Amino acid sequence: MNAATSVFSHIDYLVAVALFLSGAWILLTSNNLVKKIIGLNVMETSVFAFIVTTGMIDDGAPPLLAAGVEGPFASPLPHALVLTGIVVAVSVTSLALVLVLRIKAELGSVELDEIESVGEHDDSAGPGGGSG
Amino acid sequence: MTHWPHWLPLVAALPMVGGVLTPLLFRSRPSLAWAWAVSIASVTTLASSALLLTLVGSGPFSYAVGGWLPDYGIELQFDPVSALISPVCIIGLLSLIFSRRYVERSIDPKKVSFFYALVLVNLGGLNGFMMTGDLFNMFVFMEIFSVSAYALVATAREPIAALAAFKYLLMGALSSLLVLFSAGVVFAMTGTLNIADAASRMDVAGPMPAALALAALATGFAVKAALFPVHFWLPDAHAAAPAPVSAILSALVVKAGVVGMLRTLELFAGAEQLLQPLLTSLVWLGALGALGGALMALVQRDIKLMLAYSTVANIGYIFIGLGLATASAATGAMAHTLNHAVIKSALFLAAGAIIHRTGLRHIDDLRGLARRMPVTSFAMAFALVSLSGVPPMAGFVGKWQIAVGALQAGRPAVLAVMIIAGLIVLAFSVRVINALYFRPPSRISVASATEVPLSMLLPIAILTAGCLGLGMTGQPVLEFVAPVIKNLYGAVP
Repeated sequence: MNAATSVFSHIDYLVAVALFLSGAWILLTSNNLVKKIIGLNVMETSVFAFIVTTGMIDDGAPPLLAAGVEGPFASPLPHALVLTGIVVAVSVTSLALVLVLRIKAELGSVELDEIESVGEHDDSAGPGGGSG
Repeated sequence: MTHWPHWLPLVAALPMVGGVLTPLLFRSRPSLAWAWAVSIASVTTLASSALLLTLVGSGPFSYAVGGWLPDYGIELQFDPVSALISPVCIIGLLSLIFSRRYVERSIDPKKVSFFYALVLVNLGGLNGFMMTGDLFNMFVFMEIFSVSAYALVATAREPIAALAAFKYLLMGALSSLLVLFSAGVVFAMTGTLNIADAASRMDVAGPMPAALALAALATGFAVKAALFPVHFWLPDAHAAAPAPVSAILSALVVKAGVVGMLRTLELFAGAEQLLQPLLTSLVWLGALGALGGALMALVQRDIKLMLAYSTVANIGYIFIGLGLATASAATGAMAHTLNHAVIKSALFLAAGAIIHRTGLRHIDDLRGLARRMPVTSFAMAFALVSLSGVPPMAGFVGKWQIAVGALQAGRPAVLAVMIIAGLIVLAFSVRVINALYFRPPSRISVASATEVPLSMLLPIAILTAGCLGLGMTGQPVLEFVAPVIKNLYGAVP
């Protein structure tokens, strides 16, 4: 197997890595809290995609036993893991969105730099001071 | 004896089911919700203590969930690491008792039942996480206690709480994702998710995927445990949360990260070549965390922020001990995991009592409080002395063992860092004690403060007694955790 086919046979892993890195980039660099959540979701998707593809076998049959069906079978377990992972990701995302709503209501913005400047104003106003 | 394994799923499931039921049953009756939560936590505490006694009497045991035997099914196990659930339940129960009067002032009455629900779910998640022998099941329980922890931070009324919870959520979700990724890689490499089974098959794995899985798993748990330099989410989250939640987060939830790291070491015990770089970096990052956390704690004016940074420092100590990989350092790290949990919950509850009565959080504002709140002030001072590692208190046991381990491993520089960090801890402890006891009051709310009610005082008193008691019983604790060491490092002495 030469280098080119080796890279090509792992194209799914490379895509997962690329997705993971772009998600991490969005999460780390964006100033907007909602965009950070989107970045997190992109990263989650990349991990889910990666785990699903590890269960794949070339020319594998679905793992359902019936008359006339013969292996090799694709591994069903990674799919079960990813299903659970998706459920978790949905609940984490919804909690994050609720928190963003509360931040918007209480601090008046979903942009990180604006929120932090509000915090500084509050500090200089002292305890009980007005909103910045 | 034979029925005890059945209690393993129950101590995880009971708080979770009880927690989910709390808002359904007692939404409009906060005090009943409290009684319900305390009963559930009491039953769980009794069960976990009985499990601990069974473990001491007749050795480790396990339970196959749903009758599916390992290594196909999920295995819950009870070994000296899982036994941490017993103190976890006790501290959770005491924090719940403390919460009754605290939440009256700090949480909307309509939301109180949800608060108790989250605490119970968090407790169930922690119990399950510490007992499970299955890598993916670990991820699931980790998400249960993490998501409830994010929400608990956000129950505080301060506007900063939502932002702190959000940052905590982002870091927490990222670390969970790394653990999930690692579970996928381990399954792809070894064909099993059972930790013990995967550990025995790790030699079939290629070095690259194994290194990737180890790095992802270790990073994931390091974030959960707030190891330097991925600790930055901790101070805001722990300081912004309501005091009983701070106690649970600082004492228990970060310790789950430590337990996760112990399981990681178990999983990769056979792969010495991979483990060595991890252990070396744990020592260095631990040392930086101990020093940096102590220094940051020293410069804080807010008492809860100070305690939160001190958690970063103590997590540093624990990881130094794990990374040194000598028997005495590793047992010391495990003992300190328990002892710090007791000390830090005593401190956060005492700080909560002070904030509850005076509304003040700055250390300088608390001058002269010992005359008005003698018991709480004494508990605070006593636990701070214990935190500094003065013998024969609880903080001493682990730090001494880790220090001895540093010398045995031929790492005097690590010992020097530990001593310097210890002196800084002593310095900020003396600063607080000095303010409480030896300065005249400067605030009216201090001069007019009264001691907190018994439901708050009792948990603080019990935990403070634990600060001394665990120091006195250091040797049995060390002997209790010692059998785990051989599972952790493979051939490393």
